Amino acid sequence: MEEELKQIVESAKSGVNGVSNRAGFEAFKAEITGPNGSLTKVMKGMGKVAKEDRPIFGKLINQAKQQVQAVYDEAMSVIEAAEIAEKLGPAIDPSLPSPDSGPGSFHPLTQVREEICRIFKQIGFTVAEGTEVETEYYCFDALNTPKDHPARDLQDTFYMPDDADFANVSKKSDERYLLRTHTSSVQIRTMLKEKPPLRIISPGRCFRRDTVDATHSANFHQVEGLYVDKNVTVRDLKAILDYFFEQLLGKGTTTRFRPHFFPYTEPSFEVDFSSKHLAKLGSDWVEIAGCGMVEPEVFSSVGYDPEVYSGFAFGMGIERIAMIIYGIDDIRYFYQNDRRFLNQFA
Amino acid sequence: MKISLTWLQRYIDLPESPKELAACLTLLGFEVDDIQTTGVPQLENVLVGEVLERVQHPDADKLGVCRVALGTEVGEKSIVCGASNYKVGDRVPVALPGATLPGGFKIKRSKLRGVESDGMMCSGKEIGAGEDAAGLLILDGSPEIGTPINKILTESDTVFNLEVTPNRPDCLSHIGIARELAAWYRREVKYPSLDDLPSIESRLSGDDVFQGAKVECEEDCPLYRATVIKGVKIGPSPPWMQELLSSIGLRPINNVVDVTNFVLHESGNPLHAFDARDINGKKITVRNAAEGESMTTLDGEERKLASRMVVISDEKRALAIAGVMGGQNSEVKEDTTDLVLEVAYFNPTTIRWVSKNLALSTDSSYRFERGVDPKSLRFATDRAVQLILETAGGVVCGPESVAGSEPVSQNEIKLSPDWVRAKAGFDIPDAQIQENLELLDMVVSPGDDGADWTVSIPSYRGDLDRPIDLLEEVLRIYGTDKIPSGAVRATATGANDHPITEFARQSGAYLVGQHFSETVTYTLRSESEQNDWSEDVAAMQLGLKNPISEDQTQLRHSLIPGMLESLRLNQSRKTGATRFFETGRVFREVNGKLIEMLSVAFLECSQGGARSWKERGNDDFYLAKKRTEILAGFAGVDIGRFGINPIEGGDTAWQEGHAALIDDPRAGILVEIGLMNLERIKTLDILGEIVAGSFCILPERLRDAKRVKFQGFSLFPPSSKDLALVVDKNELASNVVRSVSKIATKATKNAFALEALDVFDVYEGEGVASDKKSIGVSMRFRSLERTLKDKEVNQAFEAIQSEIKAKTNYEIRD
Repeated sequence: MEEELKQIVESAKSGVNGVSNRAGFEAFKAEITGPNGSLTKVMKGMGKVAKEDRPIFGKLINQAKQQVQAVYDEAMSVIEAAEIAEKLGPAIDPSLPSPDSGPGSFHPLTQVREEICRIFKQIGFTVAEGTEVETEYYCFDALNTPKDHPARDLQDTFYMPDDADFANVSKKSDERYLLRTHTSSVQIRTMLKEKPPLRIISPGRCFRRDTVDATHSANFHQVEGLYVDKNVTVRDLKAILDYFFEQLLGKGTTTRFRPHFFPYTEPSFEVDFSSKHLAKLGSDWVEIAGCGMVEPEVFSSVGYDPEVYSGFAFGMGIERIAMIIYGIDDIRYFYQNDRRFLNQFA
Repeated sequence: MKISLTWLQRYIDLPESPKELAACLTLLGFEVDDIQTTGVPQLENVLVGEVLERVQHPDADKLGVCRVALGTEVGEKSIVCGASNYKVGDRVPVALPGATLPGGFKIKRSKLRGVESDGMMCSGKEIGAGEDAAGLLILDGSPEIGTPINKILTESDTVFNLEVTPNRPDCLSHIGIARELAAWYRREVKYPSLDDLPSIESRLSGDDVFQGAKVECEEDCPLYRATVIKGVKIGPSPPWMQELLSSIGLRPINNVVDVTNFVLHESGNPLHAFDARDINGKKITVRNAAEGESMTTLDGEERKLASRMVVISDEKRALAIAGVMGGQNSEVKEDTTDLVLEVAYFNPTTIRWVSKNLALSTDSSYRFERGVDPKSLRFATDRAVQLILETAGGVVCGPESVAGSEPVSQNEIKLSPDWVRAKAGFDIPDAQIQENLELLDMVVSPGDDGADWTVSIPSYRGDLDRPIDLLEEVLRIYGTDKIPSGAVRATATGANDHPITEFARQSGAYLVGQHFSETVTYTLRSESEQNDWSEDVAAMQLGLKNPISEDQTQLRHSLIPGMLESLRLNQSRKTGATRFFETGRVFREVNGKLIEMLSVAFLECSQGGARSWKERGNDDFYLAKKRTEILAGFAGVDIGRFGINPIEGGDTAWQEGHAALIDDPRAGILVEIGLMNLERIKTLDILGEIVAGSFCILPERLRDAKRVKFQGFSLFPPSSKDLALVVDKNELASNVVRSVSKIATKATKNAFALEALDVFDVYEGEGVASDKKSIGVSMRFRSLERTLKDKEVNQAFEAIQSEIKAKTNYEIRD
């Protein structure tokens, strides 16, 4: 009896080595503690054992059961470890590159636009938006552009056919639809909606009927700014632009105003900057923006009293700024989207 | 506009260097596009030589072999020459071996048709002295042989190419620019003296050749002056005039025509000379053109005229298109002796219209359409008469014929120096404001005791009307580069950026985070690209009225075609790009009306990426759908609430059976997701399969995110039940989910809640009829108040099943 149990345990210990998976384990288990298992048989023989021997016999069986269970547990943990190892596969080589694509990237024009917006946000300018399709009134008339101004020519501005009808671009009367030539139209629509004081910038896509070359594109992007309040001065305009360009191009950047002419500002200036941070440009003055004090006629056309309010407006090309700060020499790169170009700005 | 420094110096002393002058012009508001120096540059080894002898070249009829004296140092040289305008004894510029002529032409010893040539005799053009290339430059005045050519030809000029803004027509001339420089440098303008002109009273009558001008269209031509000059002799204008005209790019023609051009560029007044013989009836009428009238202009073009155009005519025909160009029929010719000189003021709007409609812009029309000072006509007439008499002889006759009159009013502006300082935002003393205005020829009368000043404006400054206009003038002379900076004032509070901006930012950040690269592509696309997209899109009226090129005629209806173009470029350049996105505006037509929409779109291509040791799966429809749902969420739109339909038909940009559409014009959204049409992608020369997604929304429908209101949730465990339903093969899963949800919600009403219903399995194949599919749904129930009992859940589940049997044609699969 005792010998028999010993043998069962021994054979369990030796037999377990052949067990390598869950199915084998279950078969192995059945051979010992299954309904017809060797240990089960011994246990069934309990009834034939003399009553006085039963306690000892029971103790021996319990010992054997515990020993077999220990064999089971050991076998199970080996199987589980093997299973995990199989699931995990071989160890990683941390030096292999990730197979995933990337990086994603914002287009440089977006990055420059956002940088401009961020800087102006610091001094209280909010981003305003408008439609790319505009009407002649909001793009020209309200901005004091003479009826026969060359900018309105079919030569220079894209128009929609005369019968075009836009459901979500409102007209003043029955003027023509066109593709906006600047984002100043956003300023007009914003002024018509809101009362001063006002500080907005309007970044966006504009169109001019230009043949594409290294510096021209039929569509391009601009940021225009508008500030309206009481007692706004030329010096305030200079202060804002100085702040902006120093933030954008680095400390020590200076600007200078040159007299110019725009129908929607009086006086009007072009803005040059000089920055030691852009080695390529040296210390020369580089034209970068246009600006001026809002023309009283423009205020009249949006119902602001020019005797009470004054303000300034400015505008600059996003492509041009991007070309200057990144040293890009051809505007077409922006629109080709060659990955080797885009990735440089990722 | 071209301004010659030499010419300018006739009216103002300018010791400054061209560079300094350019800087000053720039700060006055005249941007200098370029500065060109004309005349003979510094030349090495180009000397004065004398032709001692010429013999015929043995093998070339047109070549001569010359013996040329070049002074004691160089001696004599033998030079082969092809010119024919010289004779023995002439002195000419000679370039010796080692010289480099303008344009980089290097002179070497060489053989011409077998004969040694030891240098080159030069034309004017070859050494940069003028445009004459027809023959050798014969040097006047017997300069000493062997002298370096730069010692003889010292005349050089600097020409500025200036940008004159449209508000400053008074500066479209040398005197105009001289006035500006005089104000800047505080110098005098030296106007030409007209003292030597015969007085009007002393002039003899010219009635026999011309009897006067009248104006029929006074609005188009408020003032017209005609002056007769008899007995001129046509010939070349003097060299000084030819040189000045040439320096700004004008071709000298004859003395009379050159004078009219000279005066135009001197004072800005266009004028015209007629041959008096050609004026039928000896009278001029300024009138509107007749309908159908035409004439041949000086450039030889036959011009069809419209009735809004103005012509200068005699009793029979038009002689000139007013303000734009003269006619061939009355031009000054070699044998012209009597002239009628026209100096006029034409309405700028009229001339702009005429010039535009004839597509003919001339120096005259350019000035008239910007506005000529009517008060300057007197001076321009006298100046032209003076120069014609000087260069072509003749006598000026009377009486002068004048139609219309000069405006008499004097423009005055009230100005307060305090107001100027308030607008400028910095201190400029009264005296300086006054001086700046006076330097610009304004007359300032300060008021008494702080009253406004009265500023009289010179007649040529038609652009100055209001105090604000004078502020600009004060600042110009003050120096706009000296405007001080200051502290940034922040008197307006900030607000949220526009929802469009925020949507683009959120969408971009999400897609960049998903490894997409942002593209920026053109809004204007080709018609064929639009037509290829789908029949619906092809029918949209997205064309421009005036496109500039065939490949940019339409507004884009989607961002995807632009991205495909960029993808193709990247594939052909093998850059490894596979994932692009873009945000921007697109345009569509809905119910006969055009709309502008805000859009975000992305695409992934299965090919073209870098090879990798480990394969990653490509995006599929469902990943693109998830991305589109997230993007729509940034716009405040839950696209799960809209019906989504498979795109049908093989003739769209999408692959039938693998793409879907949500088109809800009332909600203002359009969603397209899926696999791009394989055939079409192939015809675009793009390799691989492309899965794309596009979300468009009317910008006015963008909603700011709503403030969240907290909802309590159950802390008790849920209970789940699964169902497999056999449905028609083409039944949309969304319909099944909707019907079952409705039934399940009803069945559990009041007692507990259907928390979620998920599709966990879709099966077609063995065990399911070939026209059916099986959809497995899992329902999760939960109560806010208690742990659910099996019994109540089973009861509800049975009710749901019997309701499905009763109300739907779905079969419950065991």
